[in-house]
Amino acid sequence: MAGLEMWLYLSALLFAIGLYGVITRRSAVALLLSIELMVNAVNINFAAFGWSRGDYTGQMIALFAVALTVAEVAVGLAILIQLSRTHKSTELNVATELK
Amino acid sequence: MGTEMPFLVLALPTLAFIILALVPQLRRSGKPAAYLVIISSAASLWAAVKLLVNQLSLGDEVQSEFLIRWLPNGGDSLTDVGWLIDGTSAPMLVVVGLVALCVQVYSLGYLDEESPEGLGRYFTWHALFVFSMQSLVLAPNLLQLFMGWELVGLCSYLLIGFWWQKPEAARASVKAFWVTKAADGGLLLGLIILMGATGGTGWNPEGISSGTLNAITLLLFVGVMGKSAQMPLHIWLPDAMQGPTPVSALLHAATMVAAGVFLIVRGWPLFEVSSLTLSVMLWVGCITAFCAAVFALLQDDVKKMLAFSTCSQLGYMIAALGAGGMAAGYFHLTTHAFFKALLFLGAGSLIHAVGTNSMSKMGGLAKKMPFTFVLFTMGSLALAGIFPFAGFYSKDLVLETLEHGHHTIPLVLAMGGVVVTATYVGKSLTLIFFGSNNSPDAHPHEGPITMLVPMALLGSLTLGAGFLLLKPFQSLLGNDDAVFHFTTLGYIGLGLAVLGLAVGNWVAKGGSVKALKPMGDFILSSPLDRLYVTIWRRVLLAGGKGMAWVDRYLVDGAMNALGWLFVILGNKAKTIQTSRVDNYATTVVAGAAAICLSSIVLWTLFVGAV
Repeated sequence: MAGLEMWLYLSALLFAIGLYGVITRRSAVALLLSIELMVNAVNINFAAFGWSRGDYTGQMIALFAVALTVAEVAVGLAILIQLSRTHKSTELNVATELK
Repeated sequence: MGTEMPFLVLALPTLAFIILALVPQLRRSGKPAAYLVIISSAASLWAAVKLLVNQLSLGDEVQSEFLIRWLPNGGDSLTDVGWLIDGTSAPMLVVVGLVALCVQVYSLGYLDEESPEGLGRYFTWHALFVFSMQSLVLAPNLLQLFMGWELVGLCSYLLIGFWWQKPEAARASVKAFWVTKAADGGLLLGLIILMGATGGTGWNPEGISSGTLNAITLLLFVGVMGKSAQMPLHIWLPDAMQGPTPVSALLHAATMVAAGVFLIVRGWPLFEVSSLTLSVMLWVGCITAFCAAVFALLQDDVKKMLAFSTCSQLGYMIAALGAGGMAAGYFHLTTHAFFKALLFLGAGSLIHAVGTNSMSKMGGLAKKMPFTFVLFTMGSLALAGIFPFAGFYSKDLVLETLEHGHHTIPLVLAMGGVVVTATYVGKSLTLIFFGSNNSPDAHPHEGPITMLVPMALLGSLTLGAGFLLLKPFQSLLGNDDAVFHFTTLGYIGLGLAVLGLAVGNWVAKGGSVKALKPMGDFILSSPLDRLYVTIWRRVLLAGGKGMAWVDRYLVDGAMNALGWLFVILGNKAKTIQTSRVDNYATTVVAGAAAICLSSIVLWTLFVGAV
């Protein structure tokens, strides 16, 4: 049985990959995927701490967070579709109107 | 008596006004609108008479008091509105109602040639005026009195400017409004100080220091000087004669200008104990009584003469009040309302007949207009103070009050005023009714019956009010000071009046009228007006410009500088908005890292090792 540390290392790794993606990628799709990675890293933390404490609170919060993330991604994808329609591209650098 | 009668007094004219204001078809129909207003005034007068009859049996006790709390504030309220019917307000109600009804009926004949729209407008304002004046009279406190006071001022403005197409009438109405409003500033200030000192707006002087009391009453008196045309704020009254003559009779002779005197009578508990204000009133009143009489003597225009005469008579009332004779001042107000309204209606009848205001262009009208001749002469003799007309009794009371208080110089001024008054009365009677007729209309004739009946009614009051009303008046005011003695002073006053009449006759016949005219024109060109205009332009407007400069360059300038500062800062700050999402993300990460690092450092420093 793996210890708590294992899960935390996994979570930190996922979070770092997501962060790297957010900073470096120009594509809106990649940005959304990176953000998802970061969110799920946090969810792993919730579940892991809940499991190690022996109650279900952490896992409950992780479930709620997943539901919220779905809503967030829906909004993000809607913006993305509009972006690709208006600019014929999903590169974030082309959207400078709100500067 | 219950609350119906006082309610009717106020509600009927209000109802007529509201109907006419809301139904333009009725208002523009002219005569029907006039009948509606006259019926409402008559019914209102009937209620007022019932109240007065009831009051006569009660003396100076309060007959009916009805109060509604106004602007409630927790358990307290700012003031009350309602009515107070006692020995002071009941007679004034009847005076106002009676003169208003007479004038309205008279107007039917006088304004016969007016367009239906104009006539409807005229009577609408009349209904508003009756309501305003009655609510002023019935006011249970100074604040409601002030509201009625401003409303009658508005009616005065509207009715002076009734013929607004004439530039002089429009200017006269604005002038009347400005001068009285400027004076009302004093009244309002006095009211505010009174509210601050007592927490209410009643006229109970308890608990106010005598200095504050003098300040309050002096400020109230400034408002009175404006409304009752006391020198040096009388300048609007001669111009107000641009209004229709019946309006001059009702507002600018009998009732509205007397509102100032009524305010003092109503607030007598306050004024009675303010010795400084009383002496100011005495002197202002006497000087106005004399000087305005001299100005009246110089006039050739019959209405302007009567206007100055009104100033002068109001001066007598103020002087009597200043000498402590509340009943004398109030009684002179009542008799003056009757005989001056009669004189104005008579003057209107003359103007209607001959088509000119100039007395030197009239003449020989005694035979052609015998009815007007008799009534105008009765009014004139009452004004001059000839026995047994009403003016003799009230003026004698005023003189006795002055003598009783040992005010020698004011008494001499008032006596001088009696001579001059009788002189201009004699002069006008001779010029108008005797000699030869020089008028543009060669065939003067009496007016219609609607003009004659009101004059006859006022004429009978001019004859009878003096000896019939004095006794009830004393019981109503609970004031025994005003006992009519008919002492030596009465004979002296009568002698002076007869002397004045003779002198006036001589002036008119001796052809000195032409010599007086330039002086009269000089008074009308009003050097005082120019002084006020100069003060207005040089002092008030210049001060205003200075204030505007401070506002524009110092106050606004500081605000603008602050605004520009932030515009510049904002321009600098907006360069960090690059529109590159990865830049934003990097900033967020860097910020988060900075927060983490600084918390670790702080934790290590203040709590211990990690």
